[in-house]
Amino acid sequence: MGERPADGHRYGALSLGFLAVTVLSGVALVPLYRPEEAHAAVEAIQGGIPGAWLVRAVHAFGALGFLLSTVIHLAQVVVRGDVARVPVGVWWRSTLLLPIAYAGMLTGFLLRGDAEALAAMAVGRGVLGSVPWIGEGLATLLLGPQGAGLGPVALHHAGTLTVLPWLLSIEHGRRAWPDLRSWVTALLASIAIGGIVPVTPGPADGAAARLLGPWYLLGLQGMLLDLPVATGWIVPAAAVLGVGMLAHARGRARTAVMTVLAGVVAAWVGWTVRLLVAGAG
Amino acid sequence: MTRFPRPLAVLLVAAGVGLGTAWVREARRDDATGRGPDRAGGRTERCLTCHDRPDESPGGAHAAEAIGCEPCHLGNPWAFDKERAHAGLEREPGVLDTVGRTCGREGCHAREAGRVATSLMATGRGLIAVDRWVLGETPGPDGTEDFAALLATPRPTPAQDHLRRLCAGCHLQTRGDNRDDAVRGIGSGCGSCHATRKASLTIRAHVPVDAKVPDDRCLGCHSRSGRISLSYAGLAELKAGQDAPGGAVRLFDGRPAARAPADVHHERGVGCTDCHLHTDVMGDGIAHAHQEQQVAITCEACHGPVQEQDERPWATVDDPITRDLLRMRATVRTPLEPARLGSRGVPVWNARPTVDLPIEARPAAGADGRTAPWAIQGETDGREHPVRQTPADPDHRLAGHRRLSCSSCHSAWAPTCTSCHTRFAPEGRQWDFGLGAVADGEWVEESERFGWGPPTLAVQGDRIVPAIPGMVLTADLGPPNHAPVSRRLYAAIDPHTTRKESRSCASCHASSTALGLGTGTLDLGDDGPRFTPAEPRSDPPADARDGWVSLVPEAPAPGTRTDVRSLDAPEQRRTLRVAPCLPCHTKSADAIYRDFDRSVRALLDGGSRCTFEAPRWIGAR
Repeated sequence: MGERPADGHRYGALSLGFLAVTVLSGVALVPLYRPEEAHAAVEAIQGGIPGAWLVRAVHAFGALGFLLSTVIHLAQVVVRGDVARVPVGVWWRSTLLLPIAYAGMLTGFLLRGDAEALAAMAVGRGVLGSVPWIGEGLATLLLGPQGAGLGPVALHHAGTLTVLPWLLSIEHGRRAWPDLRSWVTALLASIAIGGIVPVTPGPADGAAARLLGPWYLLGLQGMLLDLPVATGWIVPAAAVLGVGMLAHARGRARTAVMTVLAGVVAAWVGWTVRLLVAGAG
Repeated sequence: MTRFPRPLAVLLVAAGVGLGTAWVREARRDDATGRGPDRAGGRTERCLTCHDRPDESPGGAHAAEAIGCEPCHLGNPWAFDKERAHAGLEREPGVLDTVGRTCGREGCHAREAGRVATSLMATGRGLIAVDRWVLGETPGPDGTEDFAALLATPRPTPAQDHLRRLCAGCHLQTRGDNRDDAVRGIGSGCGSCHATRKASLTIRAHVPVDAKVPDDRCLGCHSRSGRISLSYAGLAELKAGQDAPGGAVRLFDGRPAARAPADVHHERGVGCTDCHLHTDVMGDGIAHAHQEQQVAITCEACHGPVQEQDERPWATVDDPITRDLLRMRATVRTPLEPARLGSRGVPVWNARPTVDLPIEARPAAGADGRTAPWAIQGETDGREHPVRQTPADPDHRLAGHRRLSCSSCHSAWAPTCTSCHTRFAPEGRQWDFGLGAVADGEWVEESERFGWGPPTLAVQGDRIVPAIPGMVLTADLGPPNHAPVSRRLYAAIDPHTTRKESRSCASCHASSTALGLGTGTLDLGDDGPRFTPAEPRSDPPADARDGWVSLVPEAPAPGTRTDVRSLDAPEQRRTLRVAPCLPCHTKSADAIYRDFDRSVRALLDGGSRCTFEAPRWIGAR
């Protein structure tokens, strides 16, 4: 299990614990999932196979824990000024954990195959396609050819987006497996929340419901309603670049980068609220 | 001794609560999961896990085991729990606001759904336009307002309000909880016609769904207003308490009715959809203004005489819907077999020459020992009904009758209601189909009695057609500031009371009703025709209360269409001048009718062998 992490990196270690919970519960779900009948398969997991819904809930909340603990760890490191202690190359690669965690959760959302997922898939394809020169190829690489269904996404979710965060976590934390405390904490927390809060799939019929993306992307969904489609990749790319640049920026430059990041977060939260309020109205 | 970490204890308790909750949820999930099949039509369809009783399937082409439930009812066919499965459920498949995702989804009936949405049974354009014009709100009886717009109007005008409360419950945009009693409990949109009434009273039994539409589907709506469905079956509606020869019968909804001669087609087992083509009832994709523009079937299409352009080989007929109908009925037309066409070139899909029928399917010979040259296949009974062709005899070749439509002579009777008073009662309360709720105010329709008898003759375009009192009414539109409306409009109609025998010559040529004068006495003496109304109007007293037009009017009276009017003075004169001759010359084959003008001149000039001292006025044209 390796040595216990320093207290200042508690959330970093916890993120690895959540990653482990997510990966193991995901492995349990793989035999039950069929990308060609995605929504039917998810509904079967949810209602047709004894106990499978709990495994799915643990998977979902484990992934959420991974994202949150990663963000909190990042914030702690930045606030405490520990960025300089991380080698620049490792910092940049670790920065990628943020979009990878997002991508992992987003692809998990797409794999539901319900009306919201299919709508998000179309939006995602549009956003990727708006990247100059490489957009179409990028969309095909990440989401598969148009009309290919969810098979390519499932492969990326179970393969690419499992291997990559683990490798980056190993490099960043210099350990392959979480310490016992993090592992048990992540597992118990995921079971506690997953047992109490059901994770229901979205609507089957897009025409009969208001379609929303995952909560952590509502800010981006809100922006896309008001701003050009390229906003969908420019804003996240700017945020990742900003975090990466923290390894280089000093003094006023650092303040400027922090301001930009704070602006992105504020805009994200603002558009989230706006979208939800508009929906409620 | 090592102290147990408090955070771990909290987490263990939380996880225990989570697992306990999960345990309860798992038990409920297992109890709620049906045990029926979870596949239908080659795909996952979990509705059947719970809805697995045989009578929960409509059967036929729409059987649940063949296509599942979701294609018609939407919802979530993959969910296991009831709440999620029923999210977005359409309880009334075919209703027009979701028809594009149910009956009209791609691969099913998208073409038909699009046409129905523009058909008059969905839009009600003619109904709305005429009503608003009659009540003085628009300059003419043509308009584009449809029921969707009418029902959504936030502040309806008196006529719109009138329509919303009395008329809007009987069209295809309605739902079961906001629909007139006449169609309630059957289906919505497509289902209004294609969902056959439940045979079983089992609560969850599914209504059968069928392409074939029996007459009782039409009866619900078309037993009102012109009442063609009632007339077709030989029923004339009565006012409550009104006497009827032979006693009254009760209609399906409790209204009293008298027995009257049924349409000969009805007597022979011909159903509504045996005549009315797919374009007649489901539209042709064009938002027509009035019913007569949408209906393509004509008497001549089946019975002739057929113009050259109205009969052509099937190879030249380009109508994919008709071809689909033939394929669905497993019947084949050879390329050179003749096809009969209704107006606008719509083929009469079920009519064919008897020589092209299999011998065992040919209708039996008639009383004259001859087999009818054409037959139509009954939609609902599958029988071949013989179709006699209009003979080229004097009755049908009379020079003076060139403009007569078939129905002007062969309609035995038509319903009449000439004493209608409509008023708005602010103190009442009545269902508003626009609001889907009871609203303040009430439209009250009152009439003294309903009648029936030989119809009046009208002119529509260049044809003589039957007409009935369509809008002979007074309307008190209520406050504020709405002046009472009085109208005297007749409506052209095919009464659907066709008889093989035609009405008598005198029933037109010596009838005040036929001429549009109303009930009364026609005196055809030497001084010229004179009419004495049975119930005089207050102004002018020479006219009848139930009349449409005066005798020998300065101008014809208007109808409920721009191209409909009463007979004008010359047409009345030409009709009446035959009357004095009818007591002796009863047959149209009589020599005097070959050239009636010449016969009259000869009579008046003394050049005739006829000893009848004819009144001089018959010489005027």
